[in-house]
Amino acid sequence: MKLHEYQGKEILRQFGVNVQEGKVARTPDEVRQIAREYGQPVVVKAQVHVGGRGKAGGVKFSPTEDKAFENGEKILGMDIKGLTVNKVLVTKAVDIDAGTEYYVGMIVDRNVQSYTLMASAEGGMEIEEVAEATPDKIIKHRVDPVTGLRPYEAREVAIKAGFKGNLNKIADMMVKMSEAALKRDAVLVEINPLFVGPDGNPLALDTKFEIDDNAMYRHKDLADWRELEAEHPLEIEASKYGFAYVKLDNGNVGVLGNGAGIVMTSLDVVNRAGAKPANFLDIGGGAKAEVVYNAVKLVSKDTDVKAIFINIFGGITRADEVAKGVIQALKEGILTKPVRMRIAGTAEDEAKALLAEVNSPLIQMYPTMFEAADEAAKEANAAEAK
Amino acid sequence: MGILVDRNSKVIVQGMTGREGASHSRAMKEFGTQVVAGVTPGKGGTDFEGWPIYNSVAEAKEKHGANVSIIFVPPAGAADAVLEAAHAGMPLIVLITEGVPTVDMMRAVQEVKALDADNRAAGGQGIRLIGGNCPGLVTNGEAKIGIMPNKIYATPGRIGLISRSGTLTYEAAKLLNDAGMGTSTTVGIGGDPVIGTTFADVLPLFEADPDTDAVVVIGEIGGADEEAAAEYIASSMKKPVVAFISGRSAPAGKRMGHAGAIIMGNVGTPESKLAAFGAANVPVADTMPEIVELVKQALNK
Repeated sequence: MKLHEYQGKEILRQFGVNVQEGKVARTPDEVRQIAREYGQPVVVKAQVHVGGRGKAGGVKFSPTEDKAFENGEKILGMDIKGLTVNKVLVTKAVDIDAGTEYYVGMIVDRNVQSYTLMASAEGGMEIEEVAEATPDKIIKHRVDPVTGLRPYEAREVAIKAGFKGNLNKIADMMVKMSEAALKRDAVLVEINPLFVGPDGNPLALDTKFEIDDNAMYRHKDLADWRELEAEHPLEIEASKYGFAYVKLDNGNVGVLGNGAGIVMTSLDVVNRAGAKPANFLDIGGGAKAEVVYNAVKLVSKDTDVKAIFINIFGGITRADEVAKGVIQALKEGILTKPVRMRIAGTAEDEAKALLAEVNSPLIQMYPTMFEAADEAAKEANAAEAK
Repeated sequence: MGILVDRNSKVIVQGMTGREGASHSRAMKEFGTQVVAGVTPGKGGTDFEGWPIYNSVAEAKEKHGANVSIIFVPPAGAADAVLEAAHAGMPLIVLITEGVPTVDMMRAVQEVKALDADNRAAGGQGIRLIGGNCPGLVTNGEAKIGIMPNKIYATPGRIGLISRSGTLTYEAAKLLNDAGMGTSTTVGIGGDPVIGTTFADVLPLFEADPDTDAVVVIGEIGGADEEAAAEYIASSMKKPVVAFISGRSAPAGKRMGHAGAIIMGNVGTPESKLAAFGAANVPVADTMPEIVELVKQALNK
């Protein structure tokens, strides 16, 4: 689960990290109120789960109360990459030029089967850009998941990264960040920029925090922080059914299969066939007709989808159950787009018999995933050309 | 023969009396696997469909001389179940459970590795964890410690198979069967970001296995496991290896089901994996059926 900046800051604060003060506003009047309370200047920052909000105009320096109000009006309700801004964070502005901006972060790193701590003197930038342009400017260090990060390790990393200031306090901030990551099951936590002021003390100006969905059961206190309106509506519906679903941009073929691997390969096959996958949908193993019906219903709701490609290799999953689910969707009038499918494995012949009985041009079964994908691509591209 | 498991493997099932544990215990038995007992804390001393149930792994291991444990324990207790098996000295532990918190897996994997090193230093045979979030492993015609469909692994073959994806393992096994080749041992290592055994850990076992002629590696985007595998192949393998990479068209930054399948920066991209296999002279199939063609070509060289 991705957290908003203000939520990530709240967690870091609970672990003792020195965090830039701020308050959340939902109306321009509230923005003005907070600006008045803090004194000027303030910064008004959109709280949405997408990167690049600064470039999109979602972060605005506000030298006066009126300007803060005006910026609140501009940013609230704004659309950033398909998501509406419902909240802004209002913080006191810091004189960036008077100090230095650094980067620290911790990420789950499968290559070391642990967390990796990253630190860079190139703060304030997207770390991916730094990693690409000047990878040697990022210091990496494996964090032991049992002991956590020790202060001496943090100091070593800070020194190697070229941090200047009160090294003990900076290292302490890194240690506290790592405690937050381990205790709150972070997949990713970043402090960027980590601002070191003229007094040499560190202050977290911005943060990213993402929690391992598998561990949410032990962070029930944060469950209220999940904001469904901040997610794609179809993704919300998918999560109700327990599907792994990702909406993909510019696609025209709905894709569903049983298992993450086969669905990823299905995306590749659709691309090869000359169309674009509109989504990733994993129905999981052993799906019954009802699950398939719900999956078809979900994908059909996506207006970008012009045809559906179903790719199943049934072990525990039965092909006839898949066919039944698709047929039910057809009978209820939910299915109006062509479905091209490959269902191999258990009860394949029963599935063929069921489809022959229905005999609808909308549902066709093919012996290989390539033929099914080719046909789905053809249908989708033709429908789009109309 | 094959690697890691054979007809002499004696298997206990942690979580046998649960829904998944029960149905897969039956399926493993049907396959011919020697499933000797189950472990469900609190149900020790009872009987489940003819299998004795124990309260602890140590007890089940001692009573039956078991050397493999397969785990169907729900996510919250899964890492603990792994540690119980490891501390009981179980040489092979297979964690099927999906959705185990990553921090738990980090700690469990680290502890299993430490125990493994201690065991070996003391002259023992070590401890290996496979998974989590994996379909398990199967040596055709001998033993299945996992959840894969029995049918496609019935006939022994001579191609080793290692995969991060469950369904694609079935797909590849079937393609190899249909082409008249078949698989020796199939190891599903799992799709999670932190897993007990990686490609590079399994490859040396196949290299040493007299019943395996070639190996197929089914990878996917994300992580650097494929890159590490390529490095090992280039430096230490004589047997031919053929690869496939799933998710080559996935958009950067989107997570596709598996928590491991995410591209971070330029690490784990399809390009970096293709380049690594290219440098190791490992042919990479563009499509799954092409795997079969490439294996044929490699064997005829």
